Amino acid sequence: MIASNELERGGEAEWIARAMRADTGAFESLYRLHIGRVYGLCLRMTGSVAEAEDCAQEAFIQAWNKLDRFRGDSTFGTWLHRIAVNAVLGRMRKSKREHDRIQLVADTEKPPVTEADTGELRDLAEAIDRLPEGARHVFVLYAVYGYSHEEAGGMLGIAPGTSKAQLHRARRLLAQQLEDTRLES
Amino acid sequence: MNEVDRNDRIVAAAGRLPEEISPERDLWPGIAETIDRPQRARWTPMFAQAAAVVLLVGASSGLTYLAMQDDPAPAAIVAPDLLFEPASYSAGYALGPEYLEARSEMSARLDEELARLSPEARDDVEKNLAVIRSAIAEINTALDDEPTNRLLQQLLLNAYQDEFALMRQVGGLTNRVMSRQDI
Repeated sequence: MIASNELERGGEAEWIARAMRADTGAFESLYRLHIGRVYGLCLRMTGSVAEAEDCAQEAFIQAWNKLDRFRGDSTFGTWLHRIAVNAVLGRMRKSKREHDRIQLVADTEKPPVTEADTGELRDLAEAIDRLPEGARHVFVLYAVYGYSHEEAGGMLGIAPGTSKAQLHRARRLLAQQLEDTRLES
Repeated sequence: MNEVDRNDRIVAAAGRLPEEISPERDLWPGIAETIDRPQRARWTPMFAQAAAVVLLVGASSGLTYLAMQDDPAPAAIVAPDLLFEPASYSAGYALGPEYLEARSEMSARLDEELARLSPEARDDVEKNLAVIRSAIAEINTALDDEPTNRLLQQLLLNAYQDEFALMRQVGGLTNRVMSRQDI
């Protein structure tokens, strides 16, 4: 597994170099390597399969257009995540239908849980989806993807202190929701 | 279990949620369709826009020249950091090392500045930069076919100046002089 990861990472550097020279085949390899984490982030942040697909596509198109600006200061995956977060925020700003989205998720769309989300994790994934937008975004970046408050704040365009406050809010709301779920079952 | 423990447990549990989720359908075809669009198709309208800008600037300069023809020559008052030296064109043009160094410094500074901007402002700047850089790439492609085309050379110079000006506007600090001889 480690050898496989190393091979992938070694291949990644080569793919990045070739993609920078407009090699779409190499860029497809990068897509295959990273789509899981990019789509996962988009899905957890938007709570909608359709929006997550659009955001993930937009993120990779933006990445292709901005490849000449990737200098390796962070990993390629983190750089992609930053672009994906921008895509999510841009889409949400444009649509301005966060309230409608919550209704939609509650009424018709299946929540963004996966086969791997079972039992307690499934409840948690559903509770995350019901969080208010700001708290959800910080919680996903910090708790699910392990970014620091500085990194999460940088991606979201908020101060680290605001990120901490949103995390505190998210944890409090999640605790309430999970307690309600426990009592209901 | 107290509240702090319960909250920590929630964060710990969230860390066990899978980071990777496969989309239900392959998104690559939609991406490939967008990025595979022929460069030439995008280049033409951009070239037209850039050419229109050059014509506008040219017409404006011509009118200014005509209006000033009968007046005594005014004293030139130019701020030192806005001074541009005359361009020298040749088939074998290239970015000068000083320009490359300044551009690299400004790009690094730009990232720092961008991180401080709101996501909306950052988006705007990045979109503008993407348009300019796309124009640069397309003009360069056209120059491969017509290396001595002076209009294309002028457009390229203008595009680099636009990029530089935008980076300087965002960075807001540099006093470096961009020399036309660098290009």
